[in-house]
Amino acid sequence: MPIFEVDNLSLHYLTRFGDKIPAVSGVSFSMEKGEVLGIAGESGCGKSTLVNGCMGLFIPPLNPTSGDVRVAGESIMGRTPRDIRKNVLARKVAMIPQGAFNSLNPTRKIKDLAADMIASHEQGVNKKEIYGRLRERFILIGMDADSVLSAFPIQLTAGTRQRCVIGISTLLNPQVVIADEPTSALDVSTQKSVIKMIFDLLDKGIFSSMIFITHELPLLRHVADRIAVMYAGEFAELGTTQQVIFDPRHPYTRALMGAMLSAEPGQKQKKPTAIEGAPPNLAKPITGCRFAARCPEARPDCKTTTQVIRIVGGREVRCAYAE
Amino acid sequence: MKIFLNLLKSPSFLIGISLFFLTICFAVFFPFFYHIDVRTMGVPMTPPCREHWLGTNHLGIDMISLLVRGLRSSLYVGFLAGIMATIVGTLLGVYAGFKGGWQDEVITLITNIFVVIPQFVVLVLISASMKEGRSLTLIAIIIAFTSWTWSARAVRAQSSSLKSRDHIALARVNGNGTLKIVLYQILPYLLSYVFMVFIIQTASGIISESCISMIGLGPYDTVSLGTILNEAMRNEALSDGAWWAFVPATVLISVIVFAFYVINTSMEGVFNPRLRK
Repeated sequence: MPIFEVDNLSLHYLTRFGDKIPAVSGVSFSMEKGEVLGIAGESGCGKSTLVNGCMGLFIPPLNPTSGDVRVAGESIMGRTPRDIRKNVLARKVAMIPQGAFNSLNPTRKIKDLAADMIASHEQGVNKKEIYGRLRERFILIGMDADSVLSAFPIQLTAGTRQRCVIGISTLLNPQVVIADEPTSALDVSTQKSVIKMIFDLLDKGIFSSMIFITHELPLLRHVADRIAVMYAGEFAELGTTQQVIFDPRHPYTRALMGAMLSAEPGQKQKKPTAIEGAPPNLAKPITGCRFAARCPEARPDCKTTTQVIRIVGGREVRCAYAE
Repeated sequence: MKIFLNLLKSPSFLIGISLFFLTICFAVFFPFFYHIDVRTMGVPMTPPCREHWLGTNHLGIDMISLLVRGLRSSLYVGFLAGIMATIVGTLLGVYAGFKGGWQDEVITLITNIFVVIPQFVVLVLISASMKEGRSLTLIAIIIAFTSWTWSARAVRAQSSSLKSRDHIALARVNGNGTLKIVLYQILPYLLSYVFMVFIIQTASGIISESCISMIGLGPYDTVSLGTILNEAMRNEALSDGAWWAFVPATVLISVIVFAFYVINTSMEGVFNPRLRK
């Protein structure tokens, strides 16, 4: 049984005037134990909305339209916010946020921030017991527990702070961890150590599988088993890392690869190509393929026929003409 | 604790706090070596002499005794009004700012209505409409009722900007409840601010009390610094040249309020690291 399943999930934002803006439409994927799924896409394509949907965290104006999210076979949709808070967040699905600089409250010590989290989920645990557990966990994840726990966030470096955030988020051994651009605010060498730590936790079985969200495709190549490329709220292509990076079939993925810079020999001669145009405005109804207006390979009927997922060369592609 | 030590290093804080303690000491310790008596009447309008250090009023009551009692009631009204206005304003502000939506709009609307109504006029109208039983506590409640908007607006703005910070999002994602987020993530930020608002509101509470008491709408059963001024005014102390009937009370009010404002500005310098030298 897959550990995490998203079944045809659609989400929308409700505006003040009652209009629905579909931010995510028809996203489906499933993950096995130990798997890392990378999700890539440009800014504003619905990655972070999808994250909130995957956690069942519907803070207004975000609302579910249809579809289901299952963790270990159990649906987390249609529950009360209180139930989600107590039993899903941090227990089943945890999240590692993006900003290492701002994710810890500067007025409180690391151990208090972590203790809050445990106290919100477990009744009747005393402070001493919590601090003992924290110490144990922080040593297990390879941090200098004594000095880090009693420090204020401002006393720590960005890398250490982000590692603290990861340590706190995974305290309750969640089944799935969603990392929403966990390293985008860090320099390259710190990035590496943070990623190493995340995979160390995965190896130690502290969590069983991970969704890694980023807009840096080269990074995904090193961390993900499978990659989904998102465009305007839909998955354009979903396949193994090898397939998506080295043999992309969807025109958007191909264009994205063309726009990518990587530090490899021979790159100096190659000019990266930008994708012309801008993503469609989701507030207006869209007919046909969402990428058609920018697609270099668009055919006349692309703008009128709605694209469905096809299996091409062993991966899912949302394009009628991909081969 | 460190903040407190930092405060002690600031000269303006030291000036403010020593002035404040001086006035407190006047109210608390002066009666130990000066005979306080607000009942015995003697020769009216005696100038300062050996028996009455600051003279007597129109009824022949010792001025220093009146000032000591008056200072006590003024401080009482000021602090009570300050505490009430700060608590009500902070609670409403945090709720509105953090909750957002229609609750925020309703509270903001009410606050704005209260802001545009001239505070002093409302104060006078309410006090004037209560003919009987205008006690110190009631005066404090009336002052608090008209001055909570200050703290509510400021706290609302702060907490609504804090709401979208990343660490609040992380706390929410980690499953912390709303109350917990407000208590542990938002209030620590606001604490220094709320404290400063409290000091300002106490100071303005003391001024408001003196104002309405001076025009004759103060407490009917006790002495306050404002009622001393009112009596001096009604009995034409000014045209008689009886300066001892109104100057000491005015100086006392100015000193307390000045002390509060100085404490407030010095705290701003310490609480806000950007203003530190």
